[in-house]
Amino acid sequence: MSSLRSSLSLDRLGSVIAVLIGAALFASPFVIYRANRIVAGEGRMLADALPPSGSVGVMVLALAVAGCAALVRAPLIRLAAASIGLCAIFPAVGWSAGFITPPGNTFARVSPALGFWLLALAFALLAADALTRLRLSPWARLAALAVAAGAVALLLVSGAWNDLSLLKEYAGRADTFWREARQHLWLAFGSMAAACLVGLPLGILGHRVPRLRNAILQVLNVVQTVPSIALFGILIAPLGYLAAHVPLAAALGIRGIGAAPAFIALFLYSLLPVVANTVTGLRQVPAAVIDAARGMGLSARQRLWQVELPLAPPVILTGIRIVLVQNLGLATVAALIGGGGFGTFVFQGIGQTAIDLVLLGAIPTVALSFAAAIILDAIIDLTRRGSP
Amino acid sequence: MSAPSLLWRGAALVLLLLFITAPQLFAFAFEPLTVNGAPAIYNQGSLLSLTLSHLRIVFLATLASTILALGLGIFVTRPSGREFLPLSRSLVNIGQTFPPVAVLAIAVPLVGFGEKPTFIALFLYGLLPIFENTLTGLMEVSPQTLDAAKGMGMNPRQRLFQVELPLALPVILAGIRLSVIISLGTATIGSTVAAKGLGEVIIAGLQSNNVAFVLQGGLVVALLAVLIHDGLGMAERRVSAKLGRAADEVS
Amino acid sequence: MIEIEHLSKRYAETIVVDDVSLRMDEGTITVVVGTSGAGKSTLLRMINRLVEPSEGRVLIDGQDTMAIPEDQLRHRIGYVIQGYGLFPHRNVAENIATVPRLLGWDKRQIAARVDELLDLFQLDPAEFANKFPHELSGGQQQRVGVARALAAKPAVLLMDEPFGALDPVIRSKAQDDLVAIQRRLGTTVVLVTHDMNEAFQLGDRIAVMDQARLLQYATPAELLTRPAEAFVEQLVGTAERPFRLLSLLKVREAIEPGPAEGEPVSVTDTLRDALSRLIWTGREALPVADASGALVGRVSVKGIVAHGRSAP
Repeated sequence: MSSLRSSLSLDRLGSVIAVLIGAALFASPFVIYRANRIVAGEGRMLADALPPSGSVGVMVLALAVAGCAALVRAPLIRLAAASIGLCAIFPAVGWSAGFITPPGNTFARVSPALGFWLLALAFALLAADALTRLRLSPWARLAALAVAAGAVALLLVSGAWNDLSLLKEYAGRADTFWREARQHLWLAFGSMAAACLVGLPLGILGHRVPRLRNAILQVLNVVQTVPSIALFGILIAPLGYLAAHVPLAAALGIRGIGAAPAFIALFLYSLLPVVANTVTGLRQVPAAVIDAARGMGLSARQRLWQVELPLAPPVILTGIRIVLVQNLGLATVAALIGGGGFGTFVFQGIGQTAIDLVLLGAIPTVALSFAAAIILDAIIDLTRRGSP
Repeated sequence: MSAPSLLWRGAALVLLLLFITAPQLFAFAFEPLTVNGAPAIYNQGSLLSLTLSHLRIVFLATLASTILALGLGIFVTRPSGREFLPLSRSLVNIGQTFPPVAVLAIAVPLVGFGEKPTFIALFLYGLLPIFENTLTGLMEVSPQTLDAAKGMGMNPRQRLFQVELPLALPVILAGIRLSVIISLGTATIGSTVAAKGLGEVIIAGLQSNNVAFVLQGGLVVALLAVLIHDGLGMAERRVSAKLGRAADEVS
Repeated sequence: MIEIEHLSKRYAETIVVDDVSLRMDEGTITVVVGTSGAGKSTLLRMINRLVEPSEGRVLIDGQDTMAIPEDQLRHRIGYVIQGYGLFPHRNVAENIATVPRLLGWDKRQIAARVDELLDLFQLDPAEFANKFPHELSGGQQQRVGVARALAAKPAVLLMDEPFGALDPVIRSKAQDDLVAIQRRLGTTVVLVTHDMNEAFQLGDRIAVMDQARLLQYATPAELLTRPAEAFVEQLVGTAERPFRLLSLLKVREAIEPGPAEGEPVSVTDTLRDALSRLIWTGREALPVADASGALVGRVSVKGIVAHGRSAP
């Protein structure tokens, strides 16, 4: 009796989510219709955004998910409900765009509106809570990410979203989009790789020479404090000077403005997490273990290779996770100094008050950081499990 | 704190104050960077007033984030809010993968140009570190201490204000410091959406190809950030002095 | 006086305390002893309602504890735990002042009480009042923990493994101090431990618990001579029994008339100590002196050994 009651009682978080869903369905427009890409738009409620069968279908489904969120506590059921909800509203918003846009009108724009975003948020919250409670294994988390990525790819490739303003922005700049994507990844991953190449040896050195460690960490701490655009600005002057006075530098493509200062700044930001976590990773080995190793006659070098380094990877990888997520985000700022990347669309979009152009830059950035965080967290868990 | 590092900080502070109040004194240093007789010192507004509005928006946004994040952090660690704890932790993790620029950019179309989108971005992004550290701080309070407090007849409110919050304070302050530093940087980018702030100097320099502007803007922002980071760090150490040492003793 | 009536605690399927009834007289020390997981801490924590009983009730001086708001109840009951739970952000004086402050005593009264307690626990107020917990040794922390629990002059003091974190030398001194202070203040003490020696050294009465049940509640001597169950006998330690019994008795209970050679033992020494002296010095008997030093008779090996038998 009591177990039945506890599995069906009103869940507080679920109730909040149900209220969100209610507000999304009955008090917020599902999509925004605009006559062209920059004029103010008008909202369309769900009932007017889809053919009757569609809007009733979405509404019934969303209410079912709301009921499930409020009354059912089993995480697996909640996850399934949230996934079904997401799988319904994403194609629905694309369908709505095709339904609303007058035939033959190429200027009209349809974008998701508050109602859609609230529904997506509510379902995502439900899914996130369920996933948190399920405590999935690293492999299961990677599989979940792959499924989600596959679903998004399917959505985009199938053309279901082609009538949405976001994809119209993309269609107009498909070439630039992929060029900036490559540039963004190059900035983020390239500077991370460079930071690992320099930072790992620096961390090992810092571990063995304590006085050096404090000096290095102090300097890197100061660098980390400097805001990104300020650091870009500070680097522009010397790089410009270098380009003007050293022919080789200019030949290598180093200029005051552009990717070079952005790359160097990202590299400098990346050093602190890499070095600090390498040092921490090496130092976390219990004193008793080090003592035993010394007692068995292992030299400092042997201790490093046989005891300290094998135990350090999880902590070093945590540093690399910080770097990667940070770099993928900071690379957007590079566009301000002509460094390219997804920030190009963000700042162009701000300039034109075109929210869909902003989203064209922002969504891939967020998706990349998000995926990078999940993948690295899984890898960290796997290395942790592997080490004794 | 050692004398040389104090001296160094003092010198940096004096230099910064001198530069934002009387930038012309330093014109000689920036002249070599200009071309075609462009001005060496930013001339479209006073550096002092830009600095002040920069600091104002960061202060207001951090204040707002602190109040909300602290309240939320306390709520989800009380029995009545425990249900929200696991989700709120993963939300903070997810939230931190959002670049601050994206938050800023998405706010513009919603509320227009100016201070508003910047404030919203600073406020939203600033919540994360403070909330996370409030959680950590409150959950790190030793169960033994809490048991003793309860056993002596402290009610939940007395336990919160007399035991939990004082013990969590250093960690919470560290969160606020992190939030302030991120906000200082994001506010600089806020100049691209027409918020008044020091980013203006850098953006103006980039637009007019004037490296002198870019460099002086960068230096002022950098110096400001480093000094504020340092100052807050000092306050934190002072507060945690007795607790920090205590933490080493009590296992 | 504390009366525990048919007290039980259940968590879902498991029963942690099973129908325990006890009466602790005013001004005595009751030690609850048992293996870990026996339910003794839960029993203790039900007295100040840190754990709410599933069944049964607790009366303090005839008043049902459920009738008192729980915070007020705890203000009236001192509570000491293993590790003490001193507040790291408050100095010694502030720690001790915790409950008086909650009760709204005025400042002068609090200051006077803090000084009084520091003196009682042999901590110089000038030196210790402003120190923080991490600046104290383990023994000093323990004394501050007990002083804090006694600050508002509670009639009842609950102690959960209060000496567990101390090393043996300091522990036995702390135990002696506790008894001295308890005798002086007349506080009713309930103390939980897994250490049988501690139970015998401190307890006026001992409650033995195992697997949620109270097996026996008796004086130390009764526990030794008439263990209620095999488990009690085993816990008491069969090999140790005669010596435990002897250490409960004083020399004055074994005085025989007549003279003896050697350094006299005192009437207040335990029989165990006297036997130990006899063995060490190789004598059959030693003279006994009273508090003033006057010889009042003698004790012999034979006489002492007779007191160490199960049925005297």
